[in-house]
Amino acid sequence: MDTERLKDIAEKTVAYAVKQKVDQAQASAFLSDTALTRFANSQIHQNVAEKSGGVAIKVILKKKISTIRIGTLEQKEIERAVGQAIKIAKASSPTKEFKSLPEPEKWKPIAGAFDRKTADCDPRFRAEKVKEAIETAHAKSPKVKAVAGYYSSGSVGFAVANSLGVSAWADLSTASMKTTVISRSGDSEGSAAAEKHSRRIKDISPSVLAKDAADKSVRSLNPVRVEPGEFEVVLSPLAVSTLMMHIGFVGFSADAYQDGESFVKYHLNKQVFDGKLNVVDDARDPSTFCSLPVDGEGVPKKTMKLISKGVVSEKSICHNSFTAGKEGKKSTGHARTEFGGYYGDEPEPMNMIVKAGDSTLDEAIAETKHGVFVNTVHYVNPAEPTKVVLTGLTRDGTFLIENGEVGKPIVNMRFTDSMLSAFKDIPLIGKRVETLRMTAVPMLKVTKLRFVGLSAY
Amino acid sequence: MSSDFGTIVLREAEKGKASYADVRISEILNENLTVKNGEPETVALSQEKGFGVRVIVNGAWGFAGSVDINKEEIKKTAKKAISIAKASASLKKKNVALTREKAGKGKYSTSFRKDPFKVSLDEKLDVLIQAGQILKDQSPLIKASYANYRGFMENKLFMSSEGAEINQKITWCGGGLSAIAVKDGEMQARSYPSPFRGDFATNGYEFFESLKLVDHAKRLGQELLKLFEAQKCPSGETDLILYGDQLALQIHESCGHPTELDRALGTEADYAGTSFLTPEKLGKFKYGSEKVSIVADATVPRGLGTFGYDDEGTCAKKVHLIKEGIFANYQSSRETAAELKRKESSGGMRADSPLALPIIRMTNINLLPGDWKADEIVEDTKEGILITTNRSWSIDDRRINFQFGTEIGWKIKNGSKEGMIKNPTYMGVTPQFWGSCDAVSKDDWKMWGTPNCGKGVPGQVMYVGHGCGTARFRKVRVGLIK
Repeated sequence: MDTERLKDIAEKTVAYAVKQKVDQAQASAFLSDTALTRFANSQIHQNVAEKSGGVAIKVILKKKISTIRIGTLEQKEIERAVGQAIKIAKASSPTKEFKSLPEPEKWKPIAGAFDRKTADCDPRFRAEKVKEAIETAHAKSPKVKAVAGYYSSGSVGFAVANSLGVSAWADLSTASMKTTVISRSGDSEGSAAAEKHSRRIKDISPSVLAKDAADKSVRSLNPVRVEPGEFEVVLSPLAVSTLMMHIGFVGFSADAYQDGESFVKYHLNKQVFDGKLNVVDDARDPSTFCSLPVDGEGVPKKTMKLISKGVVSEKSICHNSFTAGKEGKKSTGHARTEFGGYYGDEPEPMNMIVKAGDSTLDEAIAETKHGVFVNTVHYVNPAEPTKVVLTGLTRDGTFLIENGEVGKPIVNMRFTDSMLSAFKDIPLIGKRVETLRMTAVPMLKVTKLRFVGLSAY
Repeated sequence: MSSDFGTIVLREAEKGKASYADVRISEILNENLTVKNGEPETVALSQEKGFGVRVIVNGAWGFAGSVDINKEEIKKTAKKAISIAKASASLKKKNVALTREKAGKGKYSTSFRKDPFKVSLDEKLDVLIQAGQILKDQSPLIKASYANYRGFMENKLFMSSEGAEINQKITWCGGGLSAIAVKDGEMQARSYPSPFRGDFATNGYEFFESLKLVDHAKRLGQELLKLFEAQKCPSGETDLILYGDQLALQIHESCGHPTELDRALGTEADYAGTSFLTPEKLGKFKYGSEKVSIVADATVPRGLGTFGYDDEGTCAKKVHLIKEGIFANYQSSRETAAELKRKESSGGMRADSPLALPIIRMTNINLLPGDWKADEIVEDTKEGILITTNRSWSIDDRRINFQFGTEIGWKIKNGSKEGMIKNPTYMGVTPQFWGSCDAVSKDDWKMWGTPNCGKGVPGQVMYVGHGCGTARFRKVRVGLIK
C-alpha cells in the first residue's frame, strides 16, 4: 500500500491545521482495497470489490473538540474540511475532561503484517478457491445439498499524525474464508460451518474447511430434542471466539469500566474465572489477524493482560488517550482506527488471545460423560452487562456427548447465562489456538452452561 | 449529481458486453453529536461520496465501487466490475434473470420543513447539554448520561442500461436520551424515546424538536432510580403487553428478517441465516392470529425506510407480508422475485453506501392498527406484564426462537398497572407468539425509526422504520434470567 503517501497526507493536514492556530490537531488517512466473493446454493451469487479511502481530522480549540471525516484524499477537499472542523469546534462547547492528544512514543512496524499476494488476489483466484470448497463438500456425501460462504481478500494502509509530533503508519493484508455446508435427508436439514482468517491467502485451505463443515453438517441431520438445563459443554474455537469477543467488549473497555458497566469494576484483583484461564490482548502476536503496531491515535499497542490466572484487575482495562487522561494515565493504545467504521469511540481489545492449554478436542470429549458439543453460537447479546449474562443460540453443529463420545445431533438450544459462572470452572483448554476474527482461541470445556430453551431445528 | 459519469459507466458496460448495468453515484452527509454527562463527547461530521457499478456479464453479477469520482477511475471500476462478473460466471448454475420493472425517470425527495444541516450546532448542542445535565443531576447513582443527535442526508443518482435516471434526496434526523445507574453492583438503564441512540424519521429538524428531550430528562432519571426498588420480573407464563418501541423490534426481528426473500432462498445462509418462512408456505402458512396484518411500506410519510425508488430503480411500494395472520408475500429484489416467478419486485434493494452492493433490506415494516385503545388492552388484562424499551435481543438463524429483554415493565393485575418490574425478559417461538396476539391498538400507532440494522457480508448498516402501537400476547414465557 501507499503508506508514504498516507503519511504525507496526515502530516500535511496537521501542519495546515496548526497554521490555522488550533491548540491541537490530529489527522489520520487510510486507503483500503478489498474484495469478497460470496457463494450460496453452491454457486457465486455476490462478487464485489471496494476501493475506499479518506481522512479524519480532529481539532481542539480551548478544549472544544470536533471531528470531520471525509471520503477523499484530495488536498483541496482536506483543507476545506480542516476549515469546517475549526468552524464546528468554535461553535461547540468545551469537553472539560479532555487532557491532551497523545505524545509521540517509539513504535516499530510488525513484520509480516502485509502480504503482496494477498493484497493483489484477483476474482479468478477467489472463484477457484470457492469452487474447490464447493466440490470438496459435495464429494463428501450425497446428502450435502448446498454450500455457502465467502472468500475475501484485501489490504488497508493507514497513517496518523498529530501536532505533538506523533507520526505512525502501517499496512496490512487480510484473507478470510467461511464455508457453511447444508445437508438434507428427508425432511431434516443439517448445517455446519468452518472458517479461517489470516494475513496471507496461502494459509487458507478451502478443502480443509469444506471437509470439516461437510462432515459436521451430515452428522447434524435428524437432531433429537434435549430438555434444556445445565450441561457440561465443549466449546469449539468458533464458539469460544464469539463469547470472548463479547466478554472483551463488555468488560475491558475503559468507557464501560468508568461508567460502571464493566464486570471488572466489581471484581478487581479477584479470581472470577478458572485459574487456568489466561487472556492477553497483543497486536504483535503472530497469531492475530488485524495486526497494527499502533492504534487510531498513533499510540503503540501495549500488550494487555486481560485475564491472568482467572484474575482481572485495573491493568486489564484498555484505554485511548481520552479515557486514560480522565484517570491521569497513559493510553494503552486501544483507540479505534478510522477504517474500522464510524460508530463509537470506545477503546476496546482487538487482538484477544486465549493462551493454549494442554488438551485436545478428542480428550475433552473423552472426558465428558454427559454433555453438549457446540460448534458455533449465534446472535449473542449481553442481557446484563455487569454480570456478563449473555444470551444466544447454538448453531451449525450441536451434538450430545455421551460416555466420552460425540453422539446424536441435537436441536439447537438457547443459552442465557453469566460468563462469570460458565467460565468459572474450565477443566480443559485446547492446545491448538485458532485465529478467528479479532481473537486467537483454543477449544474450551466448561463444567456448566445454562440452556433455557429450544429452537425448532 | 452529474449524469455524465453515469453515462461513461453504462458505455463501458456496453463495451464489456454487459446484458444489464446500473450505477449509483452518491454523496452522504452524516452529523453525529453525543453529549456525555452534559459535555460534548462526539461532535463529528462525515462526508462520504463515491459510486458503485453493478453489471451482468455472461449471466452473472459483478460489482465494484470506488471513492474517486473521476473519468479514469470510473472507467477502471466499470472494467473491474465486468472482470468480476466473468469470474462469477465460472461458477453459476443458471443465468441471472430480472423481473420487468418500468425504468424510472425523475426526482424524489423526502419532505421536511427545517433542513437539519442548516440548523446551527449551538442550537443542537444546547438541547443535548441541557437534557444530559438534567438527567445526570438526578442522582450520584447515575454514572453516565448520554444525549444524542444524528442528522443524515444522501443525494444519489441512479442510472441503468434500461434507461432509468433517478435523482433522490433522502433526509432524516432524530436523537434520544439514555442513562445508566449503578447501585451495589447492580446496573440499570433507561432510554427515551427508544434505546440505541433514540428515534429517527425521514423529516427535518422539526422531528428532533418534537422529541422534547429536555422535558423528558427529569422523568427518565427518576424512573431509572426507581428501578433499583422494583421487583424482579416474575418467572413463568403470563400475558404480555408490548409497548410500541419494543413491539417495533419484535416486528423487525421476527417478521422483517424472515420475510426477506434472499434469506428464504438461502443466500444469507453463511451469516445472518435463512428463514422458517420457506417459499412453499407462501399464501397458506398461519404466521399469526387474524389480528396480525403486517406490511412493507416504503411510501409511508416520515418512515425511516421511506424513499421514492429502491437502489435498483424499483419505485416505492406497499406490500402485505402478513394478511390477517396468513403469510402473504416476501420482501424481494428483481432477481429474487423472478426466481420465485413473481411478477414484480417488492422494491426492497438498498445499500448503505455508494461503495456497497444493494441487498434486500427492510423499508418500513408496519403492524397495521387494530381496533383497541392502548388503555383498553391494559384494562382488559387480568394478570400479565407490560414492558417497554429494549435492552437485549437475540433470535435464531431461521427466526423462530427469540429472547428479548427490556429496560422496564409493570405488573398488570385486574386491569391496572401495579408495581414496576426490572430486568424483564421474554422468550417465544415466532408463529406461536404471533398466533397468541389477541389485541392490537390503534390510538397510539406511530412510526419508529432505527438506523442500525446490520446485514450482509461485507456488513452493511441500514436505516429502517416500523409502525405499530401496543399489542397483547397471551401466555408468554417471561423471566429468563436467574
